[in-house]
Amino acid sequence: MSNKLYAPIILLLVLAFLIGPFIIIIAASLSAGETLSFPPQGLSLRWVIKVFEVESFRASFGISMFLAIGGTIAALILGIPASYALSRYKVPGAETIRTIVSSPIIVPGIIVGLALLRYFVVPFNFGILFALFLAHTALILPYAVRVVSASLTNLRSDIEEAAVLLGCSRVGAFFRVVMPNIRGGILAAFILGFVTSFNQVPVSLFLSGPGVRTLPIDMLSYMEITYDPSVAALSALLAFMSLGIVFLAERFLGFSRYV
Amino acid sequence: MFQNRAEAFALVLPAAIFAGAIFLVPVVILLSEGFRSGDSWTIQAYIDFFAQPLNQAVFLRTLKLAAMVTAASAVIGYAAAFAIVNLPPKGKGRITGLVVLPLMISPVARTYAWIVILGRTGIVNEALVAVGLSDEPIRFLFTETAVFIGLLQLFLPLMIISLISALENMPRDAVPAARVLGANWLQVFTKVILPLTKEGLVIGGTLVFTGSMTAYITPAILGGSKVLMLETLLYQRVTMANDFVSASVIALILIVMAFAANLLLKRLATARNKR
Repeated sequence: MSNKLYAPIILLLVLAFLIGPFIIIIAASLSAGETLSFPPQGLSLRWVIKVFEVESFRASFGISMFLAIGGTIAALILGIPASYALSRYKVPGAETIRTIVSSPIIVPGIIVGLALLRYFVVPFNFGILFALFLAHTALILPYAVRVVSASLTNLRSDIEEAAVLLGCSRVGAFFRVVMPNIRGGILAAFILGFVTSFNQVPVSLFLSGPGVRTLPIDMLSYMEITYDPSVAALSALLAFMSLGIVFLAERFLGFSRYV
Repeated sequence: MFQNRAEAFALVLPAAIFAGAIFLVPVVILLSEGFRSGDSWTIQAYIDFFAQPLNQAVFLRTLKLAAMVTAASAVIGYAAAFAIVNLPPKGKGRITGLVVLPLMISPVARTYAWIVILGRTGIVNEALVAVGLSDEPIRFLFTETAVFIGLLQLFLPLMIISLISALENMPRDAVPAARVLGANWLQVFTKVILPLTKEGLVIGGTLVFTGSMTAYITPAILGGSKVLMLETLLYQRVTMANDFVSASVIALILIVMAFAANLLLKRLATARNKR
């Protein structure tokens, strides 16, 4: 096979496989018909509008937003000081601490959700929402530490030493010298954490109760009952939301440098 | 480097304690449940678990599907990554972006698309019936094939990006040099490309294998209760039978398999290198 032809053919096939399904989902969600089908039976926005009218979607969207934003902020509050200490101090047992902090990535989410349900929610009477918040925070923490650590490593440490020598306090040096320089990394960690939490299913699977459900879990249970195109419409909307966030991030801070 | 220990601990401990308390401790307690029977420690739960034909079948199916997805994504991944790194810089960035794009989108949405494609009234069936290749819709959903396709689409980008960075770190003239010296393409791949990119393959392979093994959404949507995998089995045991012992056994199997996969792939990569 000639080299010139090989690359375009392979790439076309791979991209069709990876991206094609979204184009189909977008088309299916614009259908005017009652059931999911492709090609769509006539064009209409009725299913897109329906998404906004389903009460449970609105409630679970709110919960997912709260978890993604709140969890990411909490993970950053815990993660930034930890990353700073790990990159600037001689911390005894640094490797162990790194392993503990990144353990949420290694352990399958479904197990974590189940463990939290069984040993926190049930015995201590924790609210489901609070348990979800803790679980999502722990899940985002490894990403926050990894991305922030990377930008701290790229930042020379002598500028803050210079600030301290010139009379700035250690804390002052951190907020006035270090923070402005790792702002991009923090924003990148925020976006990565947000997307990870928002799309997360396994951790939230067992942690759902009456009225408290994340959006992906709600979609899964809606799919089991109805076969109308509204889930396709919601999927398309969510895809556009994620793409919009990533596009803006790439545009304004070159997101891909950090991930 | 600052030397102040107290300060260092004050900064790092909140995160470590949080992850430990919310994560490690509950998970370790859960895992220990599989080894307890009253007051004594035993592996009876594991013997009972593997004695059941259904559990055996689910365990083997999970291994098989994860291995197949990993192998398929390695083959497609090398072809795609090789094509991408040889593109001009501008095209390379754009195509890489398109490959990574799906990773940012909800896996529920990504898996749901396959219902539209493979369902009874989906594209594939409509086309088959219209062309006359089949008289009635073929059942694709709730088969291992559907789960395989769904998992492959979900995790292929991880393999491709791992291999792209491995191929980019390879010396530019290694392949032309081997060709000039008379190696055919198969030899170029096994003797030059593979040894030089094994790290990328190990990273990508571990990500794809553990991802496939611990995936919940894809087997839940595309496999249903007909094609159970370990995670969907775990969910079913807990929600239908309150069976926390089986859940604990499955949990440990999943964690051990993830580590084993990583070690095995590393071993394979170094063994190749010695030859």
